[in-house]
Parts: sequence; C-alpha cells; structure tokens
Amino acid sequence: MLAFAQLSLEAFVGIFSPIFGQKSWRLSALFSQMVNIGVASLPTVALANFLLGLVLAIQGAGQFEKLGATNMVANLVAFSILREIGPLITAVIVIGRSGSAITAELGTMKVAEEIEALNVMGIDPVKYLVVPRLLAMLLMMPVLTVLGEGVGLFAGWLISVGSLHLDPFFYVQNSIEAVEQKDLFTGLLKALVFGGVVGTVACFYGMQVEGGAEGVGRSTTKSVVTALTSMLAMDAILTTLIYFT
Amino acid sequence: MSEPQTKHKSPYALEVRGLTRSFGSRKILSDVSFKLKRGEILIIMGGSGCGKSTLLRHIIGSLKPDAGEIYIDGTEITKLNDRELSNVRKRFGMLFQTGALFNSLTVGENVALPILESSDVSASIADLVVKLKLELVGLTGFEHLKPAQISGGMKKRVGMARALALDPELLFCDEPTAGLDPVMTAVIDTLTVDLTKKLGLSAVVVTHDMTSAFRIATQMIFLFEGRVIASGTPDEIKNNPDPILQQFINGYADGPIPLKLSKDDYLKRLMQA
Ligand SMILES: Nc1ncnc2c1ncn2[C@@H]1O[C@H](COP(=O)(O)OP(=O)(O)OP(=O)(O)O)[C@@H](O)[C@H]1O
Ligand SMILES: [Mg+2]
Repeated sequence: MLAFAQLSLEAFVGIFSPIFGQKSWRLSALFSQMVNIGVASLPTVALANFLLGLVLAIQGAGQFEKLGATNMVANLVAFSILREIGPLITAVIVIGRSGSAITAELGTMKVAEEIEALNVMGIDPVKYLVVPRLLAMLLMMPVLTVLGEGVGLFAGWLISVGSLHLDPFFYVQNSIEAVEQKDLFTGLLKALVFGGVVGTVACFYGMQVEGGAEGVGRSTTKSVVTALTSMLAMDAILTTLIYFT
Repeated sequence: MSEPQTKHKSPYALEVRGLTRSFGSRKILSDVSFKLKRGEILIIMGGSGCGKSTLLRHIIGSLKPDAGEIYIDGTEITKLNDRELSNVRKRFGMLFQTGALFNSLTVGENVALPILESSDVSASIADLVVKLKLELVGLTGFEHLKPAQISGGMKKRVGMARALALDPELLFCDEPTAGLDPVMTAVIDTLTVDLTKKLGLSAVVVTHDMTSAFRIATQMIFLFEGRVIASGTPDEIKNNPDPILQQFINGYADGPIPLKLSKDDYLKRLMQA
C-alpha cells in the first residue's frame, strides 16, 4: 500500500513537473500510448456502449409500456448512460484491454532486467515508463467515455424509433430535457478518476512483478481485479458525494 | 560525454568490504571482499548459481546488502538515496547477463537511449556515436533491427555497445562472451583490454570462459558457495594449489566440487519409471 502510494505520488509529480518548467513530456511516448490505450480500445468501447444502449431501451420499454409511458424510455436511456453506464462500461473495457496490457508489458520488462537497466543508465523508470502511460489513461478515458456515451444514446434512439415507433425528434427533445449539464460533467469527472485509478494500478502491478513469466501472469490478474474493484469503489464514493450531498 | 574526472578520491575504482546477503534463509554471499585498482580488469569466476550476478547487482546498487560496504572511487554507495546513487551510476556501464535490451526499440535506439537521456545532444550526434559503438562490437549496419530479430550473441554485443555508449569509467560485464564464437570472443576481449589500457577504464567481468579470463585479467577472484576462496593475479591463481580452484579452471568432472548429480545409472532409472 505504501509502495503504491509512493509510485502514484511520483507519477503525478512527473505529470505535473513539465508545467513548472522542468523537462517536457516525452511526446512521442505519450502519443504512442494514447494510440495504444485510446484508438485501439475505441471499437470495443463503442460496441459495448451500443449494446448497453439497446438493452436499456428494450428493458425500459417493457416496464414503461405497463404504465403507458413509452416516451419515458428517452429519459431512462439518457439519464443512465450519462450518469452511470457510459463511464462504467468504458472503464471496464479499458481495464480489460489496456490496463492488463500495461501490467503485462511493464512486468515483462521487469523480468527481462530492462527496468534495472534503465536505473543503471540513470533513467528514472517512473518518468520514462509510468508517466506517459498514466497521462495517456487520464486523457483517453474521458475521450473514450464521451464517444461511448454518444454511441449508447444513439442505440437507445435506434430502438425507440425503430421498434417502439416513438417520434425521432420528440425522443431527442425528451432526452435533452431529462438530463442536466451536471450529469454530463459528473460522468466526465468519473471517467477522469477512473483513468487515474486504472493507470496507477496497472503500472504499479507491472513494476511489482517478480519471478518470470508466471509472475507476469499472476500480477496481471491481480491488476485487473484490483482495478475493477477500486474503480467500482470510486464510483460509489463519487456518486454519493455528487448526488447525496 | 561524461566530464573528465580529473581528481580521484581513491586509488581504487571499486572496493567491496564484507559483503553479505541472504535470500530468505539461503545465504548467497558471505563476507565477500576485494579491491579493484583503476585501469585494471577484475575477473569474477565461480560455478553457476554461486552468486556472481547477485554480487554485480549489489555493486551497481540494484540490491542492498545485509551487511558490508561498497566503495565506488571512495564513495560508499549502499546507503545513498536514489538521486545520489543515480549520480554515481552515471560513471557505470553495465552489460547484463541476458542483454536486457529494450524489445520495443531498435538496436540503434537501444544504444542511443543512454546518450539521448543523459544530455541534450542532437539526434545526429547521437547517431554518430551509435555507429561508432556498434562498429566497436562488429555490428555495423544492424541499427534498424529489433532485438527479437538478432541472435543471442549479437544481443550480447549490442548490450556491450550500449554499456559503452557514455564512455563509462567503470564497466561491469556479466558473461560478455557467453554465446559468442571464438573470434568474436577475442574481439570483445581485445576491446575490453584496449579500453582499460587506452582510456583508463576499470572493468569487472564475470565469465566462465577460462581462455578469455586468463587473456584479459589483471586480478581474479574465485567464488565458491558465496565466499571468495581464492584471489590474486592470473599467475597466482594458476599456481594456487586449492583443489576446488584447480578443478574449476581446468574443467575436470572429478574433484571436490559437489555436483548434486544422481549417481544412479540413467538407463536403470528410465527402466524403473
Ligand atoms: N531475487 C532472488 N530471490 C531469491 N533468490 C535469488 C534471487 N536472485 C538470485 N537468487 C539465488 O542466488 C543464487 C545466485 O544467483 P546468481 O544469479 O547470482 O548466480 P550466478 O553465479 O550469476 O549464476 P550463473 O553463472 O548461472 O549466471 C542462486 O541460487 C539464485 O537462486
Ligand atoms: Mg549470472
């Protein structure tokens, strides 16, 4: 726990130090990590959000039909995607796809003495390896979340217009009325925090690896489990703070 | 690249005193002591698993000893903090036993990495240095390959080029010639000797290759079960009557070194199974 706190602190100092005029970020490393984490995850994130958008609309329609209020589907979809489902499912996909990849990659480097070699060359592995990955996570998680939410909302609209025969324009208007700006921003805040959690956890477990390929596997599993549970815990905490107080 | 070190604090580039280290309950190094004068080459010999790589790891500051001191040019390094240690390490070059090349970078980028990270040199100067260092180890023209595309012996040589990238004062090599053919071994040996003679570099080399060891050594130590059981010049080592040492340097299967092999007939055990 102490080691984790130390690594996170060092990494965040590394992220902010360029702002105070010390050496700049490794832009090429950052860029390639953003591609790794962001661009490569986009199709899966979009698919997951699309499917959840469909499911939400279908489930909602079943319930609202009994009340004779099918047009409420718009509210349900917009509200739950922006506040909860969008950030959550995006983080789940990123943990499975990129978080695990980061742990496995850093772990393999650790096992192959590459991290030790960096140290001997006087290169700080935190600045060289962790900072670009964490920063890319922090930047890409909100971006992926917004794009995912867009796709999810579109899926809800598609079902509502296509099979519930709701008026396409009216549906959009309903959605807009259902949500506040606050909902969009809290979703994004969640995404940012999730990015930080996933990035630090994934890097931490990668740098911790001991004992060969088997160790890499073990750490990767731990990394995914820890990232998921801490992400859900942060979600509960943030939701409580934002909507209950 | 590194500023010329005009005055030295100590006549010894490296001194190890009473180094002791256990992993769990297994004592890997016990009371290891030796000195290395500037401009000399120290060979560390010893059976597989006797703690040679572990000893090097302590000297470069990756591991901390349970007891004992390590002086690099008079500076005790086992109690330094990360920043101070990283300053001392600027004078090091290290060739790891497995090469430890960065798999995501090309051969050229691997050698260029310490150069680009340590100073503000332009990419074109770094390029030039990379070509020069790769030429030293006979790898001209391999800059653009990835580590996965070259042989084990070539990886070793790239590791050597990278260790030399910043013109270190102290070079540590963990089995630099393992996996190299006899000619390439001679090339690497000559290179190491040249560097110490012409540039005053000091080197610590771990090796199993006795021809190579006696060719380059000015000092030798022999580790057995975590202890230094013999040390001296190559001549002193050759004439040391210790039966364990003699068995090792002459490579006899019979002798006092416990092999932990089964004495049973292999065929018989196969039949029983
Ligand atoms: N991190 C570690 N944890 C536990 N034991 C270790 C660790 N590193 C090394 N050892 C043990 O220390 C002993 C010495 O290992 P070391 O790698 O130093 O041997 P070596 O002399 O370099 O052998 P070789 O010639 O085969 O490279 C081995 O028995 C090994 O099991
Ligand atoms: Mg070894």
